[in-house]
Amino acid sequence: MALPSFQFHRFSTRLVCLLLGLLAGALGIVYLLIDRANRANAIDHIDQNLRNGALIFHQNLTERIDYLAGSAKVMSGDAAIKPLLQQEVLDAATLRTTLVSYTHRVKAPVITLFSPDGKMLASTDEVLGEENMRPFRHLIQEATDKDMEQASDYSYLGGKLHILVVVPLYAPFPNIAAWFGLAYPIDQAFAQAIKKTTQLEVTFVSSPKDGAPRVLSTTLSPAMAAQVAHRIGMDDSGTAGITQILTLDHEPYVSLYEKLPLLGEFPVHIALQRSLATEMAPAIQLQNSMLKISLAALAVACLAALWLARGLSEPVQLLARHTRLVAAGDYSQSINLPREDELGQLATAFNQMTAGLAERDRVRNLLGMVVSPEIATQLLKSDLKLGGEEREVTILFCDLRDFTSLSEKMPPTEVLALLNRYLDRMSTIIEQHGGVIDKYIGDAIMALFGAPVAIPDAAARAITAARAMGDALEDLNRQLTAEGRPRLTFGIGINTARVVAGNMGSKTRLNYTVIGDGVNLASRLETQTKEPAHQTLIIVSEATAVAAGVAKNLRFLGSMQVKGKSDSIRTYAVDVLPRPWQERT
Amino acid sequence: MRFPSSSLFLCGLLCSVAGAADTVKVVVRTTLDEKPVADAVVSATPLDQSAPPAAADETFQIEQKDQEFQPYVTAVQVGARVNFPNRDTVQHHVYSLSKPKRFEIPLYKSGASETVVFDTPGIITIGCNIHDWMLAYIVVLPTPYFAKTDSTGAAALPPLPPGRYRLEVWHPRAPAPLVQEITSAPEQNAVLEFAVALKPDKRIRRAPGGKSSDY
Repeated sequence: MALPSFQFHRFSTRLVCLLLGLLAGALGIVYLLIDRANRANAIDHIDQNLRNGALIFHQNLTERIDYLAGSAKVMSGDAAIKPLLQQEVLDAATLRTTLVSYTHRVKAPVITLFSPDGKMLASTDEVLGEENMRPFRHLIQEATDKDMEQASDYSYLGGKLHILVVVPLYAPFPNIAAWFGLAYPIDQAFAQAIKKTTQLEVTFVSSPKDGAPRVLSTTLSPAMAAQVAHRIGMDDSGTAGITQILTLDHEPYVSLYEKLPLLGEFPVHIALQRSLATEMAPAIQLQNSMLKISLAALAVACLAALWLARGLSEPVQLLARHTRLVAAGDYSQSINLPREDELGQLATAFNQMTAGLAERDRVRNLLGMVVSPEIATQLLKSDLKLGGEEREVTILFCDLRDFTSLSEKMPPTEVLALLNRYLDRMSTIIEQHGGVIDKYIGDAIMALFGAPVAIPDAAARAITAARAMGDALEDLNRQLTAEGRPRLTFGIGINTARVVAGNMGSKTRLNYTVIGDGVNLASRLETQTKEPAHQTLIIVSEATAVAAGVAKNLRFLGSMQVKGKSDSIRTYAVDVLPRPWQERT
Repeated sequence: MRFPSSSLFLCGLLCSVAGAADTVKVVVRTTLDEKPVADAVVSATPLDQSAPPAAADETFQIEQKDQEFQPYVTAVQVGARVNFPNRDTVQHHVYSLSKPKRFEIPLYKSGASETVVFDTPGIITIGCNIHDWMLAYIVVLPTPYFAKTDSTGAAALPPLPPGRYRLEVWHPRAPAPLVQEITSAPEQNAVLEFAVALKPDKRIRRAPGGKSSDY
């Protein structure tokens, strides 16, 4: 899969993105981990609370039973009721008001008096029908059978859940004259009391054999309690004793279900719950604070990254600008970057490099003046090694005639001035024609065509250059005549041959030049121009004439024996008009 | 004069009754919200002379009806007879453990009645042995000059012969009776105002007739 790649044109953007990305990622992961830990912790905590709540609930019930039984025992020992029971005809109305009076003492809203055989004598609750007496009778039967001093259980009275307790009225002990049946409702108030102790939501749900579960009492809102009842109805078994998360009104509640067995009925379900949001409220507050701190840290990091990136990219941009200047050949600028770090070092190195380049440029210019630019380039290009390569080169030798005797008649400075004037003109022409000045040998010029840079028409160029030099000499002579100075005359020999071109000399001092037989021949040909019979200032070898392809335009001089050569050389004269030798003669 | 106990104090015209009245009116209110206090017994005991004895045949009545004593507070002069008729649907067992008069009328049915003579001054608390919420007071006084405040907190003493009197205000929920000396003079009227800090009413609230609609 190809990922879309983002190209950041600016280094700073990349740095900022990287830093912020890393930080945001780290903070995000930390936040998520903390959130998960908090949630798990809250659930654990609630779970513990729920189990404690269940214990407290059961303890509450036990205490309530003990209290009821204890109070009932004291109550049953009250003498006031005994005269009533002694009367011939039982005064049920008075008995009932007496029981009402007892309800205040024992804080049980329902007190019923039964005869030892289970017949109801009086009850504080007139509307409780005979059908509600069954659980009491069951308990009385149980207590009688097992000879217990009290019996208790849970049951519905008038459709509402109650704790039932029966205690005997001894008259005298251990003769049981009657039974008190007390009832204490497990109602809304009871649920609220549990909630007050445990901070848990409490819901009691009946589970009739058929029909939907019914909420008996709850600390939740009716709608939420209905959802709890519905849930209990859905999975009646298997949920008891296990903590679950139940969503009520879009809010998660950690819930624990307990069962309360009833006397002769299906058990009542008790749901203990705590809102996860409430439990997590402090943690959420902490998380929110953390989020704010994280965002602030991100903002600070953003600024810091920008500052850092600018500190990095600005010098880089400066370096880039300077590099462009240097590339354009401007070595005059230097970078001012007073830093100790790598960038500072880079700037220093850059400045040193610029200085080095400027120095090299200066050397190159100087070199160009001392040697011809082509040779200078060649020198700079090559590794300045001794030795050379064999190549075909056209060598041009030009020597002033009788300059030694001329110079004897003139002061040396004037000689040098004249010589420089002459050499300058000739050199310019040679260079204009693609020739390279190899060296000046006193008043002689040695020039190369085809070295160090090979040119295809080197020989032709050399001949053309020689002609132009002849013309230039004529021009110079006219000026010299006008100045009242003596005229100059020269001879040019041109040969084309395969020679060795390269750097020659010692390891510390080199000359780019050509060496070979062909070089000497060029020099010899120049000497031949002194022969008046040839009537020419310029003599080229056949090799040059052939290479230039102009042999028919040249005047054949014939084969001549040249000093140092065993074979005779066919030579040609290049005529320049007007012929100086004619003028001279 | 003598100041009353800390929780009962005088205000209003107080003892400027230099030449006090032949009729004395008393108004009792609570200290905090100045609500009228009913069922307070105001009595004036002569200091300079002996009080006239009670009429021999004077009989008071405290009936039992709807499982309550009626009236709640009864003031009588020493030697008075109090009759306790049961006009209820259920039986009652009237008793008193108070020091001035200890007595018991065991369970007796509607229509029956008993008479008790109260010959020692003091406060007698009456209860019913089988109905804890039933409560009544008999204030036995050594003087015929007494009255009980009505629902407006006002009580008018019978005309007092001139002379010095010990004026006493008693209420079941007052921590202690308020006592003040006054002097009665002919042809003078006075209104005495009292403020009393009542203790909370601790009487047992009856279950609603035992016919709890909850069941």
